[in-house]
This record gives sequence, C-alpha cells and structure tokens, in this order.
Amino acid sequence: MWWDIIAVKPMINSLIALSNFLSGNLGLSIILLTIIINFALLPLVLKQIRASKAMQELQPKIAELQKKYAKDRQKLAQEQMKLYRESGMSPAGCAVPMLIQMPVWIALFQSITRLVAIIPENFLSLSQYLYSWPVVYTALPLQNSFLWVNLASGDIFLAILVGGTMWVQQKMVTPGTADPQQEAQNRMMLWMMPLMFGFLTLTFPGGLSIYWIASNIFRIIVQYFISGWGALFPQAVTKKAVKERKPKKLIAPAEQMPAEQVSAEKAVSTDVAVAGPTQGEKVGNEGTGDKRPYRGGGYPAHLREVKRHPKRGKGHRPKRG
Amino acid sequence: MRFGRSKKDKVLFMLGLLLAVGLTGAGCVGIKSAPEGGSGVAIAGDILYVAPAFRTGGGGLSCAPQPSVGKLISVNTSGAQQWEVPLEPSARAGGGFSCAPASVPVAIYGTPVVDGGLVYVGGYNGIVYALNSDSGALRWVYPRQGSLQPIIGGLVVAGDKVFFGNSDGKVYALDAETGDKKWEFATEDKLWSTPFVEGDTLYIGSFDKRLYALNTADGSEKWAFETDGAITSTPIIYNDTVYLGSFDRYLYAVRAADGSLKWKFMGGNWFWASPVVSGNNIYAGCLDGKVYTLDVESGSKVAEINLESPISSSPAVVDGSVIVATEAGKVYAIENNQRRELRTLGAKVLAPLYTSNGVVYVHAENDKLYALNVQTGAELWALSLSGK
Repeated sequence: MWWDIIAVKPMINSLIALSNFLSGNLGLSIILLTIIINFALLPLVLKQIRASKAMQELQPKIAELQKKYAKDRQKLAQEQMKLYRESGMSPAGCAVPMLIQMPVWIALFQSITRLVAIIPENFLSLSQYLYSWPVVYTALPLQNSFLWVNLASGDIFLAILVGGTMWVQQKMVTPGTADPQQEAQNRMMLWMMPLMFGFLTLTFPGGLSIYWIASNIFRIIVQYFISGWGALFPQAVTKKAVKERKPKKLIAPAEQMPAEQVSAEKAVSTDVAVAGPTQGEKVGNEGTGDKRPYRGGGYPAHLREVKRHPKRGKGHRPKRG
Repeated sequence: MRFGRSKKDKVLFMLGLLLAVGLTGAGCVGIKSAPEGGSGVAIAGDILYVAPAFRTGGGGLSCAPQPSVGKLISVNTSGAQQWEVPLEPSARAGGGFSCAPASVPVAIYGTPVVDGGLVYVGGYNGIVYALNSDSGALRWVYPRQGSLQPIIGGLVVAGDKVFFGNSDGKVYALDAETGDKKWEFATEDKLWSTPFVEGDTLYIGSFDKRLYALNTADGSEKWAFETDGAITSTPIIYNDTVYLGSFDRYLYAVRAADGSLKWKFMGGNWFWASPVVSGNNIYAGCLDGKVYTLDVESGSKVAEINLESPISSSPAVVDGSVIVATEAGKVYAIENNQRRELRTLGAKVLAPLYTSNGVVYVHAENDKLYALNVQTGAELWALSLSGK
C-alpha cells in the first residue's frame, strides 16, 4: 500500500482540493496539476533539453566514428561511449524525466478512474483514499466533462492532439544526422512514440490525455525558449542565421540613396579604376566571350563603380616616419 | 532499418513497456475496467431472485472482450435454481475507435423487486426489465427502443407504478403493468440511490447533494433538503422521519412532513449503505469500518462497533439482531452493541443483506449466494451464480 500512500492518495486529494477552487471542474484541475508537476520537474526537463542539444552537437563526431568503425560494431560502441563520457553526457539522460513522469501517469490514471464516478465499485473505493480534510468530502462528486471531453473515456480528437503535440515536441529535439541509418531510426522514433501514445489515448480516460496534452504543450514552450524550434522549422533557423549575418548597412541604405549623393560619390571615385561597366554602358556578353552577363557581382549599382582597394600584403604597408 | 539496436531505442522501448505494465497493473490495485454489478436478493414466497456479478479481471490496457450479457436467476429457499434468464445488452452510442466493447454490459446493481407476478430489474445498460416471476418470460422493457443512462439504484413498486432513479439525473415513474412512462422529474446530477416510497411521497437522494420528496401521483416536488455531500444511500422512513447518509460524512434525520433537519451525526467516512432501525436505536454502517448506534430520536451516540473493514452493504434486522457484512467478507451479528462473528466468506460483500425465516442471504463478490443461519452463522447452502 506504499504506492497508494506516496502517489495515489496525494494525487486524488490534490485534484479534489484544486477542483474545489475551480468550481468542481476536474479538467481544469488536471491542467493546473500538470503545470505544477511540470514546474517541479523543470530542472530535469531543462537537463533533458540540454542533453538533447549536446547530443545534436555530437552528431558530426558520431557520424565520423560510424564511418571509421563501420565494420566493427563493438569498437564503434566503445568509441561512442568514450565520446559521451568525454563530453560529460549520457544518452539515457534524455529519458530520465520521462521515467520520472511514469509514476505520475500511473497515479493519475488510477486517480481519475476513481474520481469520475462511472463504475460504482471504483467510486466506492475512492472513500479509502480520502484525507480527513473536510473539503474533499464536500467537493465530491467532480464534473467529469470538460469542453467536449468525457474525462472518463477515450476520444479520437484527444488521441490526435496527444499524438500531434508529442510529435511536435519530439521533432523539436530530434537530432539531425548525416548517417542515413541513424536518420531512419530517428524518423521511426519520431513517429512511434506519438502513434503509441495516440493509441493509448483511445483506451484510457480522457483526463489522462488532458495531462499528456498539457504536459506536451508545456515542454514545447520551454523547449522553444531554450533552443528555438529546433528541427521543427529548420528553415526558420537558417533564415534567422542568414539575416543575422547579412551586411544590412552596406546594401539596404545604399539602394535607397538619393541620386545627388550617388553623383558625388562618383566624382570622388574618378581617380579610381572602374571595376565594372559604368552607368549607361551596355551590359552584356557581346564580344566578351563570357556566357553570363556581368551584373556587378551582387553589389548595388552605385557600388559597382567604386573600386575597392586591392589587397595589399604586409610588404606594402607604408613605413612609419 | 534495424530497430532496437541503439541505446535510445532500447530506452524508449523500456519506457513503453514500463508504462504498459504499470497501467495494466492498475487492475491489480482494485480498478475495474467494466461494471460488474452484483445485486441484493429479493424474495417472494419461497423464491429468491438475484442478478449475479461479472468478473472482468484487470483494467488498464486490457482490451480483452468484456461480458455483454447479464442474467437474472431464480432460486428456491433450498438453494435449487429455478430458472435463469439472459438480459440482452443495449447498443452503445459511438465508441467506434476505442477498445471498449460495442455493447454495454448488463451489470445489475439494484436489488430486483417482485410484485403482482412480475419481477422488475434495472440494468447498468439503462434498461428496465419486467419478467414473469414464475417463468422468467419477458413482459416489457423500458425504454422500448435504445436505452437510458446506467441504472445503479434499485426499483420500487408502489401502487400501480414502478419508480427508479437514473444516472441521467431523472426520477422515472412507469406503469407497472405496461412499462409506459407516467412522469419524470429532473434533479441536477446523477441518481444512484434507490427511492423509498411512504404513502404518496417518494424520497430519493441525488449526487446534487439533495434529498428530494416527490409526489408519487405526478412527480411534483414537495420539498428538497440540502446536505454538503452527494447521496447514494437509500433513505429509510421511521416515525415520520427520513434517515439517510451522505458523502459529507453525516447521517441525517429529516422530518418527513416539511424536510427540516431533526439532527445529524458525523461519522469517519461516507455513509454508503442504508441505516436500519431496531428498537430505539438506528444502526448505520460507515465506510470507516464502524457501525454507529445512535438514539433514533436525538441522534446521540449510544455505541460504535468497530468491524475493521468498510461497510458498503446495507445491514438487515432479525429478532433484535443487526446483521452486518463487511468488505473483508465477514458477517457479524450485533447484539447489545457487541459484535459476534457469524461467518467469514472470504469474498467482499457489497450487496445489501436480506433475512427471512431465520436465514440471512448474502450475495458475495465471488459470485456465490450464501444462505446462513442467523443464529449460528452456519452455512445452509451456497450456490454458485456463475454456473461454475
């Protein structure tokens, strides 16, 4: 009965007490309890996210090892473990928060089944799980419907939501890899867990599914704030990175520069050899033998006329004094 | 694709396995995946009527087929079975994607009631059956098509009507002969309690925490008494006072005339079972494992008898003795506020007890119907209702 004392009883009484402040709404109290539990597990969740990130960063090295020891699986495993050890991480570290959450799922399943008062035997047994707090006696029974969900039974839409949010969360942490074999395994894992949980959702009480959905959303948010969308929107990451690297000041203002300023710059640069055709000059490949027309090397029109200083070696540095 | 080789695969596989085992194991900690039922015993002449319980085993992940047919059994007082009638299940609305069965099991919780050559019983499948008490031939069902929400409480026949409460929160009155609906009255939550009829008034407790007094003629409300907890116990009437237990841990005495509070007494847990009156005392079995003996007029505590196991089965009174059965499967006689163990059955007892001619009939969770001598506790006979 130690399990009841440490897990089921606290869960049942917490849900009833929370429901009492939420007009007897069991669905809302499950969501609130999920947030509380996830905040309590936050240090572990953060550890898991960092471990996933570190794992992603190790992928090139792992790929290298896989290439190097392609024919010796034992050696490969040894070298991989060595690499993990050296980088101070464990691949199992990613699963620890999930392992810790499992007793929570089981306790929640047992609690909801008793709380929703569908089968008399289950509801009757609830009486043996109540603390002597007066509130738990007056708050019962709890509402077993929340939005369109019957918290006592499975639901196809909940199954889709559970699978969908889990897929998003998994996708965000799935490491990219150059190894096609590893890539295939990652893809399989990416789909297996959401499908498995989606299926479980059909057979379990809707209340447990509400917990899974709220928990997944919580972790997606945390994940986003720590490492962005990850592999979910790789393009968004690339674009962001490119945007950061782009020489904005050099190009954008220059394109909008007034004509006089451009002329003044032209005047200043008359003593400088022109790198490309001047304005009005025919731009094309006629007679040049080039297959592609010259377009200024990607620079704005007015800048094409400005010849940059040729690179000089150290020997060209003017001597002091 | 080589699945299961990498560490991550193994870890995730183990997680899934643990989850499956953990949730399947829920069945080992007393969670039922389907209603099992198990009615009390009704008696007419020398014939007993009882509906057996189902044994469905564990819950959790088990997608094993669940029973879809229940039955009503007729037994004579010597323990010989007379007839057995299967009760057809009703189709479940929706549920196409889940592992749940396509029909709702006909688990029977309420004690059958016999009157005018008919035996009436309400099922968890939301159907009321009226059968010929001699042959078991079906006379009528209500509703004619489809089904109501689960019927957990028992039925009561008074005058020309059958009354029952339903999980949809309504009290129904049917014509006892034909099964036509006479009236219905809506409360604000589920009804699991068996109604009690006295004169022209029906009393019933609801999950909405109220005790209702209704006019049996038309279902109009006479009064409602509000407690602080849900009510599942069947009220009883004695000396113009209604006695009932509630989930707020109180046993209430309410004046039948106007619904005003006479007294209330606090126990250690819910009062699920109905109390009984013997002499000047009322005996109330509580889920805290005690039977409280109270003065029926003032509600003051006379004694408390610890039976060390929750009491959810309503006791019975015979010759000044109060017979009580516990969830631990023990049957006691309480005499002069002292307990005397009659018998250990080795199976939970949830159904109400029934006594007649010095015999107490106990329907236990092992699906056996026991006939015990009320003085000695000797087993007169035991009949397996599952046919095994």
